[in-house]
Amino acid sequence: MGDSQYSFSLTTFSPSGKLVQIEHALTAVGSGQTSLGIKASNGVVIATEKKLPSILVDESSVHKIQSLTPNIGVVYSGMGPDFRVLVRKSRKQAEQYHRLYKEPIPVTQLVRETAAVMQEFTQSGGVRPFGVSLLVAGYDDKGPQLYQVDPSGSYFSWKASAMGKNVSNAKTFLEKRYVEEMELDDAVHTAILTLKEGFEGQISEKNIEIGIIGEKKEFRQVALFIFPLCVSA
Amino acid sequence: MDNANIGIPPKGGFSFDLCRRNDMLSKKGIVPPPSYRKTGTTIVGLIFQNGVILGADTRATAGSIVCDKNCEKIHYMAPNIYCCGAGTAADTEAVTDMVSSQLQLHRYHTGRESRVVTALTLLKSNLFKYQGHVQAALVLGGVDATGPHLHTIYPHGSTDTLPFATMGSGSLAAMAVFESKYREGLTKEEGISLVCEAICSGIFNDLGSGSNVDICVITKGDKEYLRNHQLPNPRTYISSKGYSFPKKTEGTCITKLFPT
Repeated sequence: MGDSQYSFSLTTFSPSGKLVQIEHALTAVGSGQTSLGIKASNGVVIATEKKLPSILVDESSVHKIQSLTPNIGVVYSGMGPDFRVLVRKSRKQAEQYHRLYKEPIPVTQLVRETAAVMQEFTQSGGVRPFGVSLLVAGYDDKGPQLYQVDPSGSYFSWKASAMGKNVSNAKTFLEKRYVEEMELDDAVHTAILTLKEGFEGQISEKNIEIGIIGEKKEFRQVALFIFPLCVSA
Repeated sequence: MDNANIGIPPKGGFSFDLCRRNDMLSKKGIVPPPSYRKTGTTIVGLIFQNGVILGADTRATAGSIVCDKNCEKIHYMAPNIYCCGAGTAADTEAVTDMVSSQLQLHRYHTGRESRVVTALTLLKSNLFKYQGHVQAALVLGGVDATGPHLHTIYPHGSTDTLPFATMGSGSLAAMAVFESKYREGLTKEEGISLVCEAICSGIFNDLGSGSNVDICVITKGDKEYLRNHQLPNPRTYISSKGYSFPKKTEGTCITKLFPT
């Protein structure tokens, strides 16, 4: 409609009630590499494909899955540099919470604070929204949790979710495959199969990243050794 | 972007606003200056064969009263770095807490084990910023990728790097023990017994130190926190009859019953 006239300024609503910059941010996310997460009964797994622009890139230097605290990890779809900034801010907030309350930050609190940062950038002058959606996986006293945070600052808790290029196929696959009371090992297997669905080229432990958190509440990155065990010939 | 930051105080530095008022009040004798809890203390550290041993006593004083008979003076900074603190208890706890938090963030960003010099620089910059008003005298020790390190940090922000160090009101008593008995290449048992001797020397010869001995042994990849390793001041003469007295032991003057 007259939307295009309102699409350059972040802080102006369009007549249809949308903030067009946020829609554009979601498009940026949708063209990013696929990532997904599955919540099992005794843990959470997050995974992403790690397609590098050239075979000359040193893949061990690229970390798409990061830990925010010892028991909370995060993966993204969208713009890598924006992700780095958010990870830095979230880690700082988790540390500040710990300094103030002397307890490890609960997953919901960290998600809320990260979402608040992302929302700030949709209501300020001279900035643009973050071009990433995050999948935050954590294990605290309330058990395993998986949250998705969007560029607008809204967040949802999911049993299983996907983001990025292949999102509709991946979500359909997950809907079919998801079982309540699934265990962590099955969840990892399902995650790899879902990634494989939309993968261009040969999937291997060098071009995916997997992060898991189990009952021990320690978030670890495991692609290199778990992948050969899970994939059947 | 700053509209979300309303109510956050201005950054950095000690605010000297109330110092003139405090000076005036104490000169006039109207209000006695508040007595704060000090850790008149003996804290020591030494480097042995495989790493660092830190030791501390456990008495905290407020003026001439012992307010904590078993406080913890060896503070955690990083999995491989610990710090003993002497001076004002709140200052040592706050400053080691803050730097420990900063080190944790630094570990996330670099993906590496923290180095002792990093902790040292963060602490000394912080103390210098406050121009000695943060009364924390620290003995910092740890083992990192470059080997074992031991440093002392003074309240104004100067530091020393030493093979053995003592701080606090009992530092002279403890240093006397170290100076006569320290040598390079001590084993772990020899190191622990020497540290215990030095702390005990402080406990018995200094009024500001007392109670028990805490030890922390840090080696490459491992640490042992020996809380209350030695208890040279046990409570003697505990009455076997207990300490509760039957009613009317003291004799009552008036009895008044209130409905419950």
